[in-house]
Amino acid sequence: MEKIISIKDLNYTYPDSQNAAIDHLTLDIYKNEWLSIVGKNGSGKSTLTKLIDGLIEADSGTIAVDGQVINEKNIWNARTKIGIIFQNPDHQFVGATVEDDVAFGLENQGMPREQMLKEVDHALKLVKMADFKKRDPQSLSGGQKQRVAIAGVLATRPQIVIMDESTSMLDPDGRKTVLDLIQQLRKEQDLTIISITHDIEETELSQRIVVLNSGKIVKDGKPDVIYNLGADLQEYGLDEPFTSKLMSVLGKQLKLPDGYLSEGELKNQLWKLHSNM
Amino acid sequence: MEITFEHVTHSYDVNSPTANLGLDDVSFTIKDKLFTAIVGQTGSGKSTLVRHINALLKPTSGSIKVGDRLLTPETNNKNLKPLRKKIGMVFQFPESQLFEETVEKDIMFGPMNFGATEEEARTSAHKMIQLVGLDESYLKKSPFDLSGGQMRRVAIAGVLASDPETIILDEPTAGLDPVGRKEIMDLFKQLQAEGKTIILITHNMDDVANYADEMAVIHRGKLVAHGLPQEVFNNQELLKDNLLTLPQSAEFAQDLAQKDFKFDQLPITIAELGAKIKQQLSGETNG
Ligand SMILES: Nc1ncnc2c1ncn2[C@@H]1O[C@H](COP(=O)(O)OP(=O)(O)O)[C@@H](O)[C@H]1O
Ligand SMILES: Nc1ncnc2c1ncn2[C@@H]1O[C@H](COP(=O)(O)OP(=O)(O)O)[C@@H](O)[C@H]1O
Ligand SMILES: [Mg+2]
Ligand SMILES: [Mg+2]
Repeated sequence: MEKIISIKDLNYTYPDSQNAAIDHLTLDIYKNEWLSIVGKNGSGKSTLTKLIDGLIEADSGTIAVDGQVINEKNIWNARTKIGIIFQNPDHQFVGATVEDDVAFGLENQGMPREQMLKEVDHALKLVKMADFKKRDPQSLSGGQKQRVAIAGVLATRPQIVIMDESTSMLDPDGRKTVLDLIQQLRKEQDLTIISITHDIEETELSQRIVVLNSGKIVKDGKPDVIYNLGADLQEYGLDEPFTSKLMSVLGKQLKLPDGYLSEGELKNQLWKLHSNM
Repeated sequence: MEITFEHVTHSYDVNSPTANLGLDDVSFTIKDKLFTAIVGQTGSGKSTLVRHINALLKPTSGSIKVGDRLLTPETNNKNLKPLRKKIGMVFQFPESQLFEETVEKDIMFGPMNFGATEEEARTSAHKMIQLVGLDESYLKKSPFDLSGGQMRRVAIAGVLASDPETIILDEPTAGLDPVGRKEIMDLFKQLQAEGKTIILITHNMDDVANYADEMAVIHRGKLVAHGLPQEVFNNQELLKDNLLTLPQSAEFAQDLAQKDFKFDQLPITIAELGAKIKQQLSGETNG
């Protein structure tokens, strides 16, 4: 597998802070992978994102993006490959209309106007916000703003999309629309997705989950390996999966297999028990 | 405080022919000392609704009775302080609520604005920061040096510091990790037990099922349902029209019912779901 991001022994402490926000962190992310990064509030997830995008500079260690170790000179080039969707869309708006806002990133890339208009329309359609293109972004509801921010990032066609808790403001339907869309684009356009989330269901879409705690990676594995931690997940600020909570309520009387079961597997087990009665 | 909406309509753009309606003829009562959840898709009008309660927005028509205060299209911005002292609001994006140099000053702002002495406000800040699960060392930090979840907690502390009677929370747990979310939800429940009225906007139906006494569903500016969560989540009309998503337990029960299992009412919490499954799997073996 080809590495798209390779992080080696990265360290970062905020000025005036006693504790390292990122602490000897080493991580490889592969092309076309969907990686989830999870962990408590304050565990360093957003700091890592800012370091990857070169918004802040590491104290030591290296980050390579698409084979090139980033430094002050080439960071602009690396940034064109990365699209970040932040937690709070309010900080991201620059345009007077939704349409202008989405166009902003493309203008920066020097795209001809005619092509730009097409790309903007396309991106707004993808997030189901085409009807709002003449509106002032500030007049939108929280979730609508977040969709526009997502369109702005998708329009620039990045190779790597980092979602920093960007679905936390969306309603369940909106969240599904966005996640399905990202998944589809990942497959069609060979995107790499780094998704920072607190939603355990959202991590089911990923191939790998990395758990951060105090700036260090404390777990790195396939989703079912991580889910198998059950109630221990709470130590890292995570929720226990729904099925393991239900299985603890059902107790030992029912003959259910040990370990993590997906919802589908648990339903099958319960139907089996029912028909054996 | 009891809050009654009477035919409240809010148009964001009175001059436009398409009249961008934020609220469309909403009438209902939010009962005193209850925990009421407000749900609905993004853009349905939830934030617009609650902003009428502390008169951040005025109705285009209709009225809102908040305790003994009546808010109408003619209500002007004078003399709103007594109302706003009674109604604390945590906004959807906490960053927009933080502005002082230190967390301590930020939390102290509310109480001092409403007439507390500096000493009282400081005492309150020290108490509130711990109540929201941060230690006192955070008081000296700049609110902008905090992670998203920490900012959220500070914004909540700032609102609680003025000791409002009614607390409005506009998606207060978005961005909190699940353990933190549970802590904060438990805190709201505890505040209710101490006599506060809680109004919570959320997309998390499990939180609605686990914490709310009543729930209201908004769709395109209209109130489409209001009642006990157990009833509303079993309202077939709403579910058929896709106006509501279900708590995980109800969804799981719905799937199980495709074969063998039967639920006359969908369970909305894990405890209820577990009990009903056990009942059905043991019922016949025993008898
Ligand atoms: N601008 C900043 N200045 C100082 N400390 C910061 C700043 N931003 C974040 N921190 C601190 O760094 C740690 C990691 O924060 P962050 O990366 O935002 O966490 P996460 O995204 O996992 O919630 C936290 O303890 C936070 O308080
Ligand atoms: N300041 C505003 N100007 C114009 N339209 C607005 C404004 N604020 C909200 N709206 C519109 O009103 C509707 C309801 O918004 P809002 O109450 O924020 O929704 P919710 O909180 O349910 O997501 C949306 O269609 C939104 O675009
Ligand atoms: Mg963060
Ligand atoms: Mg809102």
